[in-house]
Amino acid sequence: MTRLTDLPPAQAKRLAELECPDFTTRPWVKGPALPQCRVAIVSSAGLVVRGEEPFRGRDADYRAIPADTRAKDLLISHISINFDRTGFQEDWNVVFPLDRLNELAADAVIGEVAQTHYSFMGATDPVLMEPHARELAGRLKDDRVDTVILPPV
Amino acid sequence: MSALGHYLEEEDLATVAISLTRPQTERTRPPRALWVPFELGRPFGPPSDPGFQKRVILAALRLVEREDGPVLIEDFPDDDPRARPDPGWRLPFDHAAAADGSAEVMAREFESEIDLLRGHHDRWVTQRGYSTLGLSGLSIADCGRLVAGQLRGEVLASPRATFSPPLMLRFAVDDLKAYYLEAGAAGSAKPSSRQLGDWFWNATAAGAALHAVRAACLTSSDDRLKLIAGNFMVPAARVLAPG
Repeated sequence: MTRLTDLPPAQAKRLAELECPDFTTRPWVKGPALPQCRVAIVSSAGLVVRGEEPFRGRDADYRAIPADTRAKDLLISHISINFDRTGFQEDWNVVFPLDRLNELAADAVIGEVAQTHYSFMGATDPVLMEPHARELAGRLKDDRVDTVILPPV
Repeated sequence: MSALGHYLEEEDLATVAISLTRPQTERTRPPRALWVPFELGRPFGPPSDPGFQKRVILAALRLVEREDGPVLIEDFPDDDPRARPDPGWRLPFDHAAAADGSAEVMAREFESEIDLLRGHHDRWVTQRGYSTLGLSGLSIADCGRLVAGQLRGEVLASPRATFSPPLMLRFAVDDLKAYYLEAGAAGSAKPSSRQLGDWFWNATAAGAALHAVRAACLTSSDDRLKLIAGNFMVPAARVLAPG
């Protein structure tokens, strides 16, 4: 089950036809060379650190995930149940590749890894996320992040 | 994720989105995206395969070095090898679910099945060092009691003041599914998500119980409970046809 054609037809149709924002601008920021970049993960998996309040419904805000978070302390609270969770259960890097980024930084393939990473809940209307995303940009820059990888689920 | 990329890029941050649904990405047109041919829920591909995961990450991050955008949408070429079923995987138990029994029989079967799986789940925790249970804040036995209570027609109540009863039910069901799927994956075999899902939804008392609870909740006068039961308990691909 890897492509839309592999999904049940109704689910594939819903995903393919999901309303998307119609942006009129085309922003573009040239990133640094990988050995100089400082990378943060901003996931839309509804990730929360264990003990914090899970996302409810379609919350538009985001949660912080400190870089010293361990795999045992990260939970998925995404509202959708129509995606696989067994990969994450076995290995959090399937969704939140913090170990892999740390290894790439240790090997000097990338520059550095951010002090804090973040998660939204991806089923939320992106228009509602916008003010939170713009506020988050300031926090990322305070952490000297210049490159953001955005994994969904 | 494509929309977040747009907003963050407008705030002067270079971004690259991972895309699991290419048509959405093509319509949103983020600054950069790497489409990956993996199932939903696995944006970096196979679990326990660091080399493969790094290839995905680097394919994405290398788009940030390019100068020929916007918009850049590239395709990752390789499928997830763990999407294939493992013929060596065995069901945790050979146990016929009492799908056609009374609600009380179904509830008892379900609760005893949770106990039956405890050894398997302990093995998983020993192997992995942790479990992903915890959204509900309840023990797995209490999650089971909450769901079994719905089979028995009990009034739904939330043991946690911060969760409404329907939300409590949703998180308890999430924890139950995680418990079963982790228990089912314990051992040296590498079952695909489909193998585990087929087992859970077609061959366990828990799967039968969740179908029954969903059906019962859909007749509730509580619209929020109906919403949660209808959409956030049984995956769309597993909902049984009426009759």
